[in-house]
Amino acid sequence: MSKYLDLDLKIIHDLLVKKEIKPIDLVNESFERINNNELNAFITIDYEGARKKALELEKIDVEEDNLLFGIPIAIKDNIMVKDLKCTCASHILENFISIYDASVIDLINEKKMIIIGKTNMDEFAMGSTSETSYFGCPVNPWNKKKVPGGSSGGSAVAVSSHITPLALGSDTGGSIRQPASFNGIVGMKPTYGRVSRFGLVAFASSLDQIGPMTRNVYENALLLNAISKKDDKDLTSVETSEDFTRLIGDDIKGMKIAIPNYFVSKIVSDEVLNKFKEIIELLKVSGCQVDYVDINHIDKAPILYQIIAMGEASSNLARFDGIRYGLKVEAKTLEDLYKKTRSLGFGVEVKRRIMVGSYILSGENAKIYYNKALQIRDDLKKSFDSIYKDYDLILGPASSRVAYDLNLNNDDPLKCFMDDILVMHANMGGFPSLALPMGLIDELPIGLQIMGKHFDEATIYKLASFIEKKLDLNLGGIKNEL
Amino acid sequence: MNYKKTIGIEVHMELKTKEKLFSPTINNYGNLANSNANIIDLGYPGTLPTLNKEAVFLAVKAATVLNCKIRKIQHFDRKNYFYPDNPKNFQITEERKPIGYDGYVEIDDDGIKKRIEILEIHMEEDTSKSIHSKEKTLLDFNRAGVPLVEIVTKPCLHTAKEAILYLEKLRELLLYAGVSDCKIEEGSMRCDANISISKNEKLGTKIEVKNIGSITNVGLAIDYEAKRQEEILENNETLHEETRRYDAKLAKTILMRVKETGNDYRYFPEPDIPYLVLTEEIIKNIQDTIPTSADIRREKYLKAGISPINIEKIIANKNLSDYLEQFTNINLKTASNLLLGDVQAHLNKINKSIFETNFTKEKMITLVKYLDDGIISHKNFKDIVGDVIETDKEIDDILKENGIKNVVDNSLVFNIIQKVINENQKVVEDYKNGNERSLKFLMGQVMKESKGSVNPKVANDLLVEVLNK
Repeated sequence: MSKYLDLDLKIIHDLLVKKEIKPIDLVNESFERINNNELNAFITIDYEGARKKALELEKIDVEEDNLLFGIPIAIKDNIMVKDLKCTCASHILENFISIYDASVIDLINEKKMIIIGKTNMDEFAMGSTSETSYFGCPVNPWNKKKVPGGSSGGSAVAVSSHITPLALGSDTGGSIRQPASFNGIVGMKPTYGRVSRFGLVAFASSLDQIGPMTRNVYENALLLNAISKKDDKDLTSVETSEDFTRLIGDDIKGMKIAIPNYFVSKIVSDEVLNKFKEIIELLKVSGCQVDYVDINHIDKAPILYQIIAMGEASSNLARFDGIRYGLKVEAKTLEDLYKKTRSLGFGVEVKRRIMVGSYILSGENAKIYYNKALQIRDDLKKSFDSIYKDYDLILGPASSRVAYDLNLNNDDPLKCFMDDILVMHANMGGFPSLALPMGLIDELPIGLQIMGKHFDEATIYKLASFIEKKLDLNLGGIKNEL
Repeated sequence: MNYKKTIGIEVHMELKTKEKLFSPTINNYGNLANSNANIIDLGYPGTLPTLNKEAVFLAVKAATVLNCKIRKIQHFDRKNYFYPDNPKNFQITEERKPIGYDGYVEIDDDGIKKRIEILEIHMEEDTSKSIHSKEKTLLDFNRAGVPLVEIVTKPCLHTAKEAILYLEKLRELLLYAGVSDCKIEEGSMRCDANISISKNEKLGTKIEVKNIGSITNVGLAIDYEAKRQEEILENNETLHEETRRYDAKLAKTILMRVKETGNDYRYFPEPDIPYLVLTEEIIKNIQDTIPTSADIRREKYLKAGISPINIEKIIANKNLSDYLEQFTNINLKTASNLLLGDVQAHLNKINKSIFETNFTKEKMITLVKYLDDGIISHKNFKDIVGDVIETDKEIDDILKENGIKNVVDNSLVFNIIQKVINENQKVVEDYKNGNERSLKFLMGQVMKESKGSVNPKVANDLLVEVLNK
């Protein structure tokens, strides 16, 4: 069994350029790994399409300036890939085949990456363990009794288990960064508007953002380079064109870093806090200015999330009604058709969120809850902006604890929101935020969160790359040579 | 004591844009069912709306001609409800921030000018069209996402006649502003009336009559409904808020559904469409492109001496009026007589609009000149109207081909005159000796010789010229 997929992308690229390997070798290795590991990371595996694409790429010259050429990538199953199923891990879309490519998929294809398949996730991205998937929960490769995190659990597992070096996830309230933290990989939620949402099945439109999940910081920046582009099909997308790798390797001396007191309070476990403090020491020693700060409304993020995300979700998911596509349960009356289709089609967590969201928007509640939440959200964003006037970055742990046992949260639907208590602020304010490994606790990885100013991903990558190099954890065991 | 009617009117008007409001799909009535529907119109998962600026511009024009204040910062909302014709199960509309508000439409009620107050005008997307057959309901998504403006009056109308005058005026204003086709029969204009009756200042129970099929029927529906409500109240029964429809065959309103307490549409700001800012400059630029209104055209026609009856005939046929708008320096009266007479008759015969024919601007200019100069007669025009409209031949060629050529060809008229002079030497002598009546005789001979096809004025001038040589 070959092990090309354990190599750094630069090495793989060199081998491709020198024609020592072909894209098909990488694709076959991906498939081998999917089948040898019982991780349940994928909902759909595109054997035929990926192999066909690999063989097509053989016929053309390897693009020497494109490190992503021929590299296998896994796509979260809420992003449309033409002719592949797009289930959102839901029974209601179990047999739904996409008839179009999401705008990010156009860009993935432009860079000639090879889509291996669609990854498992929480149903409609609602959850933080991937346990709400209709297709069963993927498991954490570090310990198969543990959750992989969510909602982009399958994508995180695909990358951490070296099935694919690259994956796309989506992040509405931490869904890229929390599983990245649980899997010892790097995950970025870019600035809202950086990556087109056209073709991403909407959960909460004002919070959703697609982002890269990779084994290291450099490759993450590289994938973000590929998928960031203004898209006329998404009115919330913005004009951006820059090289996110450009500051990697720069000296971090003099950087100003803010640590919200909230992020080092009782909400974080002692083990995680200790790891985090080691990072703070490292940064101080390296010449950064690190200050502890208070940020107004920072504790309100989970409440805002529940109101805004669920309100929007209740509307976004209304289209799954059995009339035009997806599961349809026949009934005598129209109302029964709606009821039966949606009752059978959606899982418990999705139904719970639709009901809460409908309640929140109902009648006077819209004013009491939703509109007020939007105001506080605006205030929260302003509080963060005022911190960014004096500081380059805001740091905290990416999750309050390491990956926990499967089925632990089943008794309490509120628990899953607490996992994302440290990372939702980025979604509320539209800020970019990255999770990268900061160490191991009891043989399980734990992530660090770096949050930046709007459209300042490059500075995040600069610090992340420095920390990655200093820690030299090499959790993924990526080899720099064959 | 009599009951007083209070009426509020809501009109949905489809905007005449090239594309739909939130997708690049073609907006065109009458195409094969579901041929104008893409993944956005069908509400496919993952799709997002874009915003058609042309629709916004037309809505600004509509708001302008309805004398509304125009909101500079635009934002949309979602109206959530489940129905098969509503592809996303929410409709994108402007609940909180209508594009126009506080306007009015002036009507002329038998010489009394009245202002019908407009509460607001807002943009929204149309639903798909449900076609009910025996057991099934079919859906045509061609209409889904077509841009609409909804125009809502205050409850300030009190008679069926006011309602009819308002709707006719509204239709004329929006038609002439180029905003909509305003065709009730094709569904591009749809009228709902809210009707209540009361003996005092406190408004009675509001009954909504939806989707009334013609302006006349709005009047009939209002009168029927007021009478029905009066009978119920006089029987000491209670009215409940409900939605009814008007059945033109039965000449009755029929219950559709009883309104449940507080319709819950769960409105919230549409997160997929950012704020759209209209600057003073943009608004002014849009307003500058509004075509001339019907009322300004009426004034112009009146000044040109066109009769009030003919003025209304032209205004009622917007194509003819638009055709006349091309000309800056022409006798509008002559032109309008041509258009309303033989031209319109011929257009009806061939079932075409004047803009679909070969009746060019240049042809009209020539014809009006010839008619005014007496070079041709209206009878002449009747003979050639088909050729003028249907062929690309020039007027002079058409006249020649139809044997009216001599009237414009001076050499032919000259030949006739020469012939008459040669054959009537004595009369010519008389003329030269001062007998004026001789000229009339000679002229009669010329007309006779030409079988009446020469223009008398031209012939007369030429004859005098020759005789005086």
